[in-house]
Order: sequence, then structure tokens, then C-alpha cells
Amino acid sequence: MKIRVDRDLCQGHGACVEEAPEVFALDDATHQVVVRNESPDESLRPAVKAAAKYCPTRALRLED
Amino acid sequence: MNASLLSGGWPLLGHLQELRKHPIELFWRVREECGEIGELNFAGNRVVLLTGVEAQEAFFRATDEQLDQAAAYPFMTPVFGRGVVFDATPEQRKQGLRNQSLRDSFMRGHAEVIARETERMMAKLGDAGELDLLDFFSELTMYTSSSCLIGKQFREELTPEYFKVFYELEKGTDALAYVNPYLPLPVFRARDRARRRMVELLTGVFERRARSGAASGEKRELFDVLLSIKNPDGTPRFPVDQITGMFISMMFAGHHTTSGTAAWTLIELLRNPEFGRRVVTELDSLYADGGEVSHQALREIPELENAIKEALRLHPPLILLMRKVVYDFEYKDWVVPAGKLVGVSPAVSNRMPECFPDPDRYDPDRYREGREEDAQLFAWIPFGAGRHRCVGAAFAMMQLKAIFSTLLREYSFELAQPAESYRNDHSKMVVQLAKPCLARYRRRDRLAEARQAEAR
Repeated sequence: MKIRVDRDLCQGHGACVEEAPEVFALDDATHQVVVRNESPDESLRPAVKAAAKYCPTRALRLED
Repeated sequence: MNASLLSGGWPLLGHLQELRKHPIELFWRVREECGEIGELNFAGNRVVLLTGVEAQEAFFRATDEQLDQAAAYPFMTPVFGRGVVFDATPEQRKQGLRNQSLRDSFMRGHAEVIARETERMMAKLGDAGELDLLDFFSELTMYTSSSCLIGKQFREELTPEYFKVFYELEKGTDALAYVNPYLPLPVFRARDRARRRMVELLTGVFERRARSGAASGEKRELFDVLLSIKNPDGTPRFPVDQITGMFISMMFAGHHTTSGTAAWTLIELLRNPEFGRRVVTELDSLYADGGEVSHQALREIPELENAIKEALRLHPPLILLMRKVVYDFEYKDWVVPAGKLVGVSPAVSNRMPECFPDPDRYDPDRYREGREEDAQLFAWIPFGAGRHRCVGAAFAMMQLKAIFSTLLREYSFELAQPAESYRNDHSKMVVQLAKPCLARYRRRDRLAEARQAEAR
């Protein structure tokens, strides 16, 4: 599982943090997403998928 | 090379009159005549319009330092007043946009407020009658936005006069502002009168709150705090005039946009009754076990969501997004020099046939799994795209879901005028539903509906 962030799109809404707090956090300085865990455990796949789906700006992409 | 200038401009005014009469047709004419990049002239203000996915992506991905939102909307300055929104530096605006109240973790509380406000509006409707869609949704969204974004007590101070004054402000956004936003014209005088009235109304609110003690103490809300801040010499840091500007700017982005989208969602569902039935059936079954709107509005309501998205695609509340070019903007072989404006039109983009097959057809199913036409980030752009994409988009979607979850389970609606007579008024930069825009409503009788369904 590989997570891609489009920095031009992220606005720091934090929907991903709500969906998968183990994987995502918000950076207080940039107000953008921080991927805390680049290759999260397979068990987190549904949560990461939900994060990508509910991102209001669709800034997250899940590859493989 | 420079973008070519669109034909048909008048001396001095350029394409301004066409913009004030048929803006969407004007933008399409640029695409047909000049291709993906063409120049318009609004009374000496040169606007280079970019159309097509590729050119739009370049626009949306450009940095603030290159393409600035400030100064692109001169018709807004007299509405907000000086010292608010577009006067701020990009860095200040960035901070301001991180409005805490739009964070995901606040949405549940907002959904509850919106459901309750919708119920309060419904309480005034009675069992059956006729309503004006523009007035109804304008009033409702005035209450929901103020309650969610400013404060619950502040909302209780609002009366129907507020949405009427607000309507005057919105109507004051005539494109003649490109000539001069302070021309002595009736439309601008009415705008300035409305703004003065808003200052009066808010002054009254703050005086009442000060007298009752609500403005100090624990019940303090956003504006009470701002009012209490003093300069070193003891004068207020933010005079009421400026706080009125903040109020207007906070409400502006989410008001006519959400209100218009609510109206169009309903109009299209009534024009296309098979989709209307699907939405009502979906809501009835989702809430059958007594679920709360505050819970459900944050989750998936696919038929309703698709209906909202399709209303947004066909009737985007903003039809022209603009930026000022700070340093030369290059696209392919073209250069847009600093000082000009560049623009993208959601009204054109949302109907580009190469992205949206059969683009004029109302078809909420285009968002279903497998098609997902809204996944084209730089083509489906009712909320814009990129770093300036509407920060309130998620809030707006939730709000519309909460409103219709409440409204459509209690009332059934029908059009009260010919289906094709509903249209937007494009004579002002702020697009509004044109009057008359009436609908009839009737309180639902589930038993009778069940019997009818059986008979069918």
C-alpha cells in the first residue's frame, strides 16, 4: 500500500485524520497533511481507503 | 504569444454589456472562437479566459504568488467594506481560511443545528401552500450559516430582515463595478443603503448584548470578543462597521451559493420525478429506524448526493473564477502578462462534452460507481479546484443533505409554474434564482402514499 499526497490540493480539512489517525496527522505550521506511516499495515487499508474517499479535495491517492 | 482578443467588443466597455446580459454564452463564444485561451475586455480590465481540462489545471495549480485572488473581484470591495477579506495579505488570508468551524470534527454539531433550523422554517409552513424558493432557502441558510459559523445566540438576534438586506447586497454586484464600483447608479446606491442598514442592525444587536450582560461573561461569542479588543488608547480595535464587514464576508461565501443550490436541487428533482422518487424512497428507508439527521447527514446518502452534485454541475453558483496575474503566466506557447486577469468558468467546464457525455442532460447517475464523472478534479469544478477550492464544500454538502433529509420526509413538493420557467438571473456577478420561482408543498401523508403505491 502506497499513499500519494497532492500538495497542490490539500487544504488541511482533517477528514483523513478522522478516518485513519494511525496514518495521518495535520501539520500545525503548514496546515497540510502529514503521512505518519508511509507503509501502513494491511489491516489499515479500509481506513486509508476511506480517508482517500472522504478527502474533500481528493488530495490523497492510494496506489496498489 | 498573447491570447487573441474575442470579437464583438464595444469601444471602451468592451464585452461588459454582453457579460451583464449573457455571461455564459459569452464564455462559450471565447472557447468556440479563440480555443482554450482567449481574451475578454471588461471596460479596460483584460481577462484571459482559460477553458479545457489542461488549461484549467494550469490555472488551478498556479501558486498564490503568481496568480492572486485579491483585486480580481472589484465588485466585492464596497460590499465587504475596507479592511476585510481581499485587503489582507495572502498569508493573512491563508490563516483566515483555516476557519476552525469548518474542521471535520465540528460537522456533527453543525448537522444537528441545520436539522433544527430546517424544522423551525417548516413550523411556519403549515399543512399546504406555496413558497418562493429563493426567499425560503435564503432565509434558512442565513440562520444555519450564522448559527454554525458565528454563534447560536447571535443567530437568535436575526430576523427575516437580514436575508432581505443581504439580498440587496448580493444584487449590488453589478459588473459595472469594472468601470467604477462607486458610480452614482441606483444599483450601487441600493447596495450602499443595504450595507448601512446592516451596520445599524448589528449595532442594535451589540447594544442589546452589552445591556443584558451576554457580551461579557461566559456566554461570549465571536463578535463579543472582537468588540472587546481595545487599542492602546482605549478605542475599539474593530469598529462595528468593520465587524459588519466580517459578518458579511463570513456569510457571503456560503449564503447565495448554498441557497441557490438547495433551490436547484429541488427544482431538478421535481422536473425529473423519477429521480425525485428515488431520493424520497432512499431517505424514507435510511431514516426508517428512527436515525438522527445529525448522524446520517455525515454519512453516505448516494441518491441525494448525486442529485445535489448534478444540480451543482448544471447550475454552478459561481460562473467565473478569477485571479490577478502577479508575474507573467505561461501556458504552452502563450504568455499572459502581469497585470491582466485570468479566469476559468465553471459554467463552461461543467458542460464540456468531452468530460460529461450528453452534458445538458440531467443525470445524477453519472456519479455512480464506475462512472464517477466528478472525479475529474479539473473539469467538474462547481467548487473550483486546487488550493483555493471552496473550503466550505464539505460543510455545504453536509448542510444540503441535512436540509433535504429533514424537508423531504415531512413535505412533498410540486412545481407551481412551467418547468422551463425556472432560471438564474445572470445580470449580476452574484448569480441568483430569478423570480418568480414558486413551488407548492403539502405535508406528507404516509398512509395515503402507501395505499397509492399499492394501487399502482
